[in-house]
Amino acid sequence: MKKVGTPEYDLSDKLKYHVSALSTAAKEMALPLNITTHYPRERKRQPDCFRGYMLFDPERCISCFQCSFVCPANAIWMKDAPSGRYYPTVDYGKCIFCHFCIDSCPGGALRTTKIHDVAYKTMDEMFTSTEEMIEPPEIIREDVGVVDYVIDKEDLSLKRTKEKDELIVDVEPSQGVPMVSVCVDRGSCLACKVCDMICESGAVSSVVDEAAMTVKMAIDAEKCTGCGLCVKECSMQILRLVRK
Amino acid sequence: MKMAAETETGKGEVEWEVKIPEKKLKDRLFFENLKAMVIDTQMCSRCLTCVSICPSELIVNEEDIVDFPNYEDKCLDCGACVRVCPRYDYKPKSGLGDYIEFTAGQSKRFKGQDGAMGTEFIFSAIDMGLIDRGLFVDRDEQWRTSVFHVRGKEQLEKLPLGGTKYVFADILPELKKAVMFSKVGVGVVGTPCMVSGVRKLQEEYPVFREKVKLVIGLFCTENFHYNEVSKYLIEKGVDFSKLIKTDIMKGKFVATMTDKEVKFKVSQLTSILPSGCNVCTDFTAVESDVSVGSVGSVAGF
Ligand SMILES: Cc1cc2nc3c(=O)[nH]c(=O)nc-3n(C[C@H](O)[C@H](O)[C@H](O)COP(=O)(O)OP(=O)(O)OC[C@H]3O[C@@H](n4cnc5c(N)ncnc54)[C@H](O)[C@@H]3O)c2cc1C
Repeated sequence: MKKVGTPEYDLSDKLKYHVSALSTAAKEMALPLNITTHYPRERKRQPDCFRGYMLFDPERCISCFQCSFVCPANAIWMKDAPSGRYYPTVDYGKCIFCHFCIDSCPGGALRTTKIHDVAYKTMDEMFTSTEEMIEPPEIIREDVGVVDYVIDKEDLSLKRTKEKDELIVDVEPSQGVPMVSVCVDRGSCLACKVCDMICESGAVSSVVDEAAMTVKMAIDAEKCTGCGLCVKECSMQILRLVRK
Repeated sequence: MKMAAETETGKGEVEWEVKIPEKKLKDRLFFENLKAMVIDTQMCSRCLTCVSICPSELIVNEEDIVDFPNYEDKCLDCGACVRVCPRYDYKPKSGLGDYIEFTAGQSKRFKGQDGAMGTEFIFSAIDMGLIDRGLFVDRDEQWRTSVFHVRGKEQLEKLPLGGTKYVFADILPELKKAVMFSKVGVGVVGTPCMVSGVRKLQEEYPVFREKVKLVIGLFCTENFHYNEVSKYLIEKGVDFSKLIKTDIMKGKFVATMTDKEVKFKVSQLTSILPSGCNVCTDFTAVESDVSVGSVGSVAGF
């Protein structure tokens, strides 16, 4: 068995390590290296796809409920608006910022921001209404600089610049997994045409042929946004979303 | 346009064609046709098949009349109601129909109106794995009917499910829900008009053919509207809070209460006999898989 003892240094090793330790100490005294961001005087630069506070554009919302269905934290409630539409509200007390809602939104009505520091005084305030989501919240900014983390070789260093990071970003809405609605039991179709009436993108068509006494139903896969509105409204539950 | 995409439930269609029925009154909405041909002619049996299939879910059975308030604006004119109405192109049924055998039977484990065979068939089918849901008519303290979905016999201990309530029940609208929920199949017990409604649904729509696996018909001469029959029974001295059983035996309506019995000739109810029952000649529910009733059996069943 080999016994592990204290390492043995000769004089030149000892000198080398001492010099290295002293020079590190001197360097830290003259120019201290710090890896913490001095928030709120400076902010870390976040990537554009940062999962932060969410904004909502009612113009693009088709009330398809996808966001509230997909939310794993049950943080999204759809509320009826005066227009008769249903719009999302977010309970930030529950939201886990996974942004599945944004990814699943077929119209790109929900989008992210780099805002991650909204403060609330009560739990009730965390329940964010649709109106509150349309404009970004009021932010008091004290930051005078931005910090980038730079990874070079094995080391991580900080690069500080005197500029302000834009918190409201313009990112392309996610395409998600392209889905399309199909009918899985044509025989059970009532031809009530609800799918056609509800479709926002004009993908569903129903043409009544009086002479032949038939209704020709069709879903145009190119136009279908996969929002699932027709699937939800079909009273016979014979429509399904499948991958395009 | 892309063609049919594969789904987990089979082929999905992007283009399909649906046949629409012929309108007897041209240029009128389908519901107006139903109203004119069935409801206004007093042929309607309140089987509520139309209520169950209407995609706008706006056909209602209120004040004992099937109606569609504001149908002028709200009817989608799809024709589903006339496609499924057993009385629209009424072909009266009568007699026994085709049968394999008839027999007297009594359940060993359940108590019901007579031999509790209605209950037994549904639970046996659940035990056999033929169906995963059965529909029963339940009642409240005031003998108003409601429909109950059973999925196992443990539910039976808590509920007064068996037993005949001589009041219409919204079975078919619940059947549609059951069909949508069920993974295996659904069993249903109903009066002959409801059985015909189920068969119509099955004839027209594959989803009902596939899912409704057991249709038990009850022998039936008549049924009543709650408001009318309850008023009459109260006048006759029936106390609903004590009522445990209603029956029609040898031409007499028998209301059994915990402390007494009220009996009178059914013929006294003629004035409140629903018009739809007057035209019906199907006593045995000819179209059912199994028909259950007490006529002709010896006492004790
Ligand atoms: C309105 C009506 C009229 C009837 N008329 C006759 C008749 O003239 N002659 C005759 O021999 N038999 C008649 N019956 C059948 C009889 O009363 C018994 O239901 C039958 O014998 C079955 O008895 P059971 O013990 O096997 O059923 P149980 O095991 O007691 O089951 C009874 C079944 O009836 C269902 N049911 C109860 N009330 C209603 C209702 N209002 N609508 C639909 N389903 C209901 C319950 O869901 C249950 O499944 C009638 C039944 C009804 C509902």
